Amino acid sequence: MKKRFAKLGLAGKIVVLGIYLVFMVFPLYWMIITSLKPRNEIFTLPLQYWPKKISFENYVQIFKISKFHVYLGNSLFISLVAAAIVLLVTILSGYVLARFSFRGSGQLMMAFFVTQMIPLFIGFSTLYMMMSKMGLLNKQASLILMYTVGLVPFCTIMLRGFFQRIPASLEEAAMIDGCSRLGALYRVIVPIMMPGISATFIFAFVQNWNELFMAIMFIDRESSKTLPVAMNSFITKFDIDWGSMSAATVLSVVPTVVLFAICQRFIVEGLTQGAVKG
Amino acid sequence: MKGTKRWLALPVVAALAAGVVSGCSGSSDGGDGKGTVKLKMIESLTSPARTEVIKKMIASFEEANPNIKVELISPPLESADNKISTMLNSKESLDVLEVRDVTVKQFVTNKWIADLTEDTNAWSGYKDLNANSLAMANYIENKPYYIPYGLYQKMLFYRKDWFDEKGLTPPKTWDDLLNAAKTLTDSANNRFGYSFRGGSGADGYIVDLLRDFNGANVNTDDAMFLKSGATIFSTPEAKQGLTLYTNLYKDGSPKDAINWAFAEQVQGFVSGATAMLIQDPDTIDPVKQKLGEGTWATAPMPVGPTGVSHYKVGAAGWGMTSYSKHPKEAWKLIEFLSSPEQNAIFTKTAGVIPIHNSASVDSYFKEGAYKPYIDMANDPEHFVAYKPETDYKGFGEWRKIVQQDGQAVLLGQLSIDDALKKWDAYWMNEKQQGK
Amino acid sequence: MKLFRLNRTQTFIFLCLLPTILLVFGFTYYPIVKGIDVAFRNYSLFNLSDVRYIGMDNFKTVTSSAQFGTILKNTALWVSISLVLQFVIGFGVALLMRRSFRGRGVYQGFVFYSWALSGFLIGIIWRWLFNGQIGVVNDLLLKMGLISERIGFLSDPKWAMFSVIVANVWYGVAFFAIMLLAALQSVPSELYEAAEIDGAGSFGQLRHVTIPYIMPTIISTTALRVIWIFNFPDLIYGMTNGGPAGSTHILTTYMLDKIVFSGDYGQASAIGIICIAILVLFTTFYLFATRAGKAGDF
Repeated sequence: MKKRFAKLGLAGKIVVLGIYLVFMVFPLYWMIITSLKPRNEIFTLPLQYWPKKISFENYVQIFKISKFHVYLGNSLFISLVAAAIVLLVTILSGYVLARFSFRGSGQLMMAFFVTQMIPLFIGFSTLYMMMSKMGLLNKQASLILMYTVGLVPFCTIMLRGFFQRIPASLEEAAMIDGCSRLGALYRVIVPIMMPGISATFIFAFVQNWNELFMAIMFIDRESSKTLPVAMNSFITKFDIDWGSMSAATVLSVVPTVVLFAICQRFIVEGLTQGAVKG
Repeated sequence: MKGTKRWLALPVVAALAAGVVSGCSGSSDGGDGKGTVKLKMIESLTSPARTEVIKKMIASFEEANPNIKVELISPPLESADNKISTMLNSKESLDVLEVRDVTVKQFVTNKWIADLTEDTNAWSGYKDLNANSLAMANYIENKPYYIPYGLYQKMLFYRKDWFDEKGLTPPKTWDDLLNAAKTLTDSANNRFGYSFRGGSGADGYIVDLLRDFNGANVNTDDAMFLKSGATIFSTPEAKQGLTLYTNLYKDGSPKDAINWAFAEQVQGFVSGATAMLIQDPDTIDPVKQKLGEGTWATAPMPVGPTGVSHYKVGAAGWGMTSYSKHPKEAWKLIEFLSSPEQNAIFTKTAGVIPIHNSASVDSYFKEGAYKPYIDMANDPEHFVAYKPETDYKGFGEWRKIVQQDGQAVLLGQLSIDDALKKWDAYWMNEKQQGK
Repeated sequence: MKLFRLNRTQTFIFLCLLPTILLVFGFTYYPIVKGIDVAFRNYSLFNLSDVRYIGMDNFKTVTSSAQFGTILKNTALWVSISLVLQFVIGFGVALLMRRSFRGRGVYQGFVFYSWALSGFLIGIIWRWLFNGQIGVVNDLLLKMGLISERIGFLSDPKWAMFSVIVANVWYGVAFFAIMLLAALQSVPSELYEAAEIDGAGSFGQLRHVTIPYIMPTIISTTALRVIWIFNFPDLIYGMTNGGPAGSTHILTTYMLDKIVFSGDYGQASAIGIICIAILVLFTTFYLFATRAGKAGDF
């Protein structure tokens, strides 16, 4: 009896997970198929679920009409640098807030949390003026700075959760062995926290990789543009260039999907560390 | 503590380094000290093909003026005007910018763009501009705030092959158009009569239609109002017009069209889903590319019940910021772009009506698809130009309101009477507030 | 440093927090305070020569607009339905994936990637799928014989909200699945063993062991998701632009609209402040009701 239930359960599990897989993968599949269709076939009925003839003209096109490889490089550079800075800054703040309780620490956490509720646009014109005065407009540094700003509060909260899971006795032992507190943090705690830190890093990277609005507003120069801005340019007055758009979507999704596929173990593991506080 | 300091230094150094490294690349404005002037120019109605052409024009400008370098900024279309206002509002370095008939009022009110009177006085080419271009250039305060690069005016595109098949002739009136649309609609085969505009930009279509129904009573100098001073929404004719608009959607257009903006409208026509399209001349090129010769043709705009069609000329062009540090060079660039040779290159790509009076332009017009423009211009009794309401303060808000209310009317959520009442009140209020 | 007379530990704390505090207060709170000021001014890009204070007028204009009720209702629908579906599906998937199976890693890669896409992209992808003429969703439904006529997913007000929510669910399930999967894996197996000895079936285990153990994660992730979904105009903006006839406008898309169409930063800021107020109230109430203790305790 129990066994049959188990079998039924397994079958049910496979079916449900299968349906979910189709639901999740189909949109991406459809973008890939669209991108591989010749341009004139994209709009013809009946729809082809598999292109009659695979064509790479859409991919050729996006490299021809835009400096797509440059944008890819820019996005990668900005996203990586900003995510790295976020980690450097928030490992310190997350650690301190996890280990010490002092006057104002609760309010500080609150202040970080409230940033999540603020729509970006409210402060935007002031931010623009600030960037202008600091001479950062049209420089990638403006995006690196603003992406860092956007992520620091939440990543502090996230990392604080991870640090709380690690017993303080570990770094205390290291400090007795002659390490400074910071030395202990980086030599003992950070290595243990690597999965959690990876999860935070990926979170930060993905946010940066996707950001559109500030990238449009702060960057003018063709050679400094990022991928989302370039893709936004496929929306013209006449049409959305679905051929180029689908090809660009596929190319821009690939790095994140690969990153996810490689790192998903760390993500879940890292989050497991921080998920529930004992 | 030694270790502490070293670790602490890291993020600070990294942050500083990022700033310094990228801070070194290129100065943001002005020249590089060798007498070279660097101009910044931004475009608004961006598209990859158009950007290519502008770049080529700039290259020939730089060749002719070796001491001037131009940096072109091409933001994505959707956010372009927003970016331009943001830059202007914070006086970010910018010299030449794309000014549109819908943005010029805002730019002038905020003193963001320069009055070009002195420059145009000294420019020999100014008098060669055609009447419509001059009118659009001087639309605000009767001063030239920008030099148009081209003009827009609507006409009717239709599927000649489908019309012939059913023995129809191109519609002369709005009623004809509705009937033709009904006849040609065959929704089972995904064929519809009319490329309806229900989404962003529907405002122009609705208001123009209501003007046509009000006929000769419209005050063409202040075209939201009648000669009597009442609004164009207050009459029984307006109700007839809006009823026709609703029927056109219900009986002659795809359901999806309630959300259609420019792109979908054109797409619907060129993909063979719709039989008629009312659009600007920049649509000629995509239509030509996608539809075979002989399958389509153009015609003058349909007229209202009393035989009048109201048209407006739209324009966009190049202007100069009021705070440009290099006004002389900036004007040089505008003048260069507005020269007949350069303008000819540009208008061909952008598909707009040229700005000059010249023989070449005339021949350009007589050719096929552009012919309705000549016909309309030669028939001022039936085709009446009006001054658009773009100079009212509430214009931006209005566009959104009428588009949304229009959709609500189509969906039956708002009655025709209530919509007209609301719009009537809006414009009475605008009139009180002044321009 | 002398001024504050900090001891070593205090100096350490201070220095570690300094960069974060500078970034957050300098580049988030300072611009916000300025932005809040704008909400009380007549600040419209159409005329910046007259940016006088007008008291609460912007708030009055915004809240008294005929649309405002619909927008609030839409916002509530958008947040609650998206949240419930994301959570239920995410939790279910996480439960099914709790025990390792062959290919789980690859499977995770394929079902969780949506979380890494931008709102703009998701909007674009689903707009393409839901296209009324050549959209594949319509095509599939026709082929399966479920419908006889194409549905205007994005043009019919009956369907538009449904469609944007589907896209949002597609995007957000991964977040819950990842977070809850992580939480589930942290439940010590001894607890299950003990429950089994007590004779609890799998449903009993779920109710008495799993859910109580991961409750803190459930509370914090749902609170966070509410805030994020609320502040997520990108997707709707990309798919329907708030239409048709405003039937998919939520507060944040309405705010974008005020900026893009009317250039009215005063009213946009006012809407923004209303958003913050709603979220602060919600979070306080929610965290209080669930007794999660201090806010921000994630």
